[in-house]
Parts: sequence; structure tokens; C-alpha cells
Amino acid sequence: VLVLVRSPLPRLRALLQRCWGRLERGLWPSVFGGQSPPWGAALAVQGLALVPQGINDAEAPSLLESVVWMAAPKHRRTIEVNRCRRRNPNKLIEVKRNIDVCPECGNLKQKHVLCGYCYAKVKEETRLIRMEIYKKEGGPFNTPTVETVVLYEGEKPTEKDEGKRIIERARKRPSWFVQN
Amino acid sequence: MRLSVAAAISHGRVYRRFGLSPRSRLDLLRNLVTALVRHERIETPWARADEMRGYAERLIDYAKRGDKDERAMRMADFWLTEKDLIHKLFKVLAPRFQPHPGSYTRLLQIPNRDGLDRAKMAVIELKGNPLPPLVRPRRDSDKTLLNQLLKGYRQDAQRAAAA
Repeated sequence: VLVLVRSPLPRLRALLQRCWGRLERGLWPSVFGGQSPPWGAALAVQGLALVPQGINDAEAPSLLESVVWMAAPKHRRTIEVNRCRRRNPNKLIEVKRNIDVCPECGNLKQKHVLCGYCYAKVKEETRLIRMEIYKKEGGPFNTPTVETVVLYEGEKPTEKDEGKRIIERARKRPSWFVQN
Repeated sequence: MRLSVAAAISHGRVYRRFGLSPRSRLDLLRNLVTALVRHERIETPWARADEMRGYAERLIDYAKRGDKDERAMRMADFWLTEKDLIHKLFKVLAPRFQPHPGSYTRLLQIPNRDGLDRAKMAVIELKGNPLPPLVRPRRDSDKTLLNQLLKGYRQDAQRAAAA
């Protein structure tokens, strides 16, 4: 079979020649001898051998086969039975016996938890100290490489506070902040 | 013989699950560690503080090796996202905790958060920080039985020494 392909581009012609050669070799392997393995007979497998036969034959399924059975209450629970269930001790809220009085301020607190009032006091003072620190540092990412000490009005740094950065707070020292 | 653990059994697992993925959990804890080193006292949900505590203390143990140590510097570089805190870690915190053998943090529970979730909150702080103390150490009153007995013993000892 002669096919004339007239193409102006030499590259395209070379490509077509190569493709045609490969095709010929595939179609007549015996002619071009020994370069490709001979094709043997392959087993033709029929896909989807299991064709469901009963689809068109089956009639509409009866109600008893397609419905899923679920549990539902048979009788109304009386109010007495309901009250017994709802007021059973395991359903009531547990009574807490770990509530004590804070010795500092007298508010109530749980034994294993800090007193809310005292913690709020400390939190507020910490916030003011941090504002002073921020003002002293000037900007973000300026953490100094020395320790810090907080001094209140009228206090002088002791010999223990030698190389430390001093943060001044403009108020009297609170009684609960003991100077070390 | 069961070769793999069934779903929804977690016997013996020590790490809690946070965030969207294990990497996200590490990022979350890393942010908390950075905040703790920066502010020396932070208030966060109790589970996060508890999880973060171990990582923070191990970081300080690494810092105690000194900043010439390659592994210590790599650990500090990963765990502290703000790089000026690496200087603080090696120059301030490592000397501060040099005499302590361990337990550099204090974890205390706080009343539940005010928001809708009422989460269990905790405050975690580095020991020896310059901020006001959270809990004042209370001495027993002088009227307790043991203290009265000790007072009597001291008085007897003084009388015996005077006589």
C-alpha cells in the first residue's frame, strides 16, 4: 500500500514515516521479522457476565419486605412514672461541697480554684504593669536581656536589683504585693 | 487475635488533640510557649496550659545547656516564633532557673470563663517572675493546737535556759 504524503516540513515527514513504520511493524510482524513479539490469541473476556435477570420481571415489592421496622412507644408514660424518672437522684444536679471562704477578701471560692476577686485584682495590676513595660520598650520585639523589677512610689532599688530593668508604678505599694 | 486497635479506643494516649491537625496542634502550643516566655504569665484554657507546660519546661532544660549547643539553639529557634525571645531565654531564664532541678512553671486553676462556653481556665506562670504573686503563702494561725504546743515548748526551753 503506497501512501503519498506531501508535506513541506521535513520534521513532520520524518515523524509520519516513523509512525507509519511502527504501524506496519505492528500489522505485519512476520514481514519485518523478530523485532516485536508475535501476537498470540488472547482470551476474550465478556464484561458483566452477571446480568441481573429479575429486574424487569419482578413486580412491585410488597409492603412487608421493603419497610424497615423501628421501635416506638406502645403506651403513654404516666406522669407518676415520668416524675420517678426525672427526679431520680442520678438525674439531679450534684451538690458541691468544695466551696470555702477566701481568707483574704471573704468571697466564696472553690477549694482547688483561685479566688475570683483576688485574681481580678492581681490581673488588673498586671495589666497596668504591662502597660508601663510597653511604654518603656517603645515598640514590639524589644524584649531586654535582663531581669525586670517593679518599684512603687518612694522605693529605691536595693543591691539585689543591681542589673535589672526598673519599671515604675505611680502608686503606693499594695499590701498583697510583698517586696522581695 | 486483634492486631489493630479499634476506633474510639485511646488507652494510654498521652497527647491531647488540639486544632485541625497534629501540625496545627504544635503551632498552637508553640504560640502559647512564645507568649509564656514573653509575658511570663498567661491565662488560657486548662487543657492547653497543661499540654504546653511539658513543652515549656523541656525548652528551659534545653536552654540550660547553653546557647553554644547546636540542638538547644535549633529547639529555641523552632519553639519561639519571636526571635528576640531567644535572647531572653538564654540570657535571662536559663540563669534564673540554673539552681532549680525542674518544675519551672506554676499552673493554677481560675474560675470558669465568662463567655458562653464556661471553659475551665488556668493561669500558667514562670516561677520567679517580677509580676505580683497570685497566691500568698499562708502561715497557720497562732491559735492552732500544734502552734500552741510548740509555743509552750519554746517557753519551757527559755525558762530552763534562764534558770
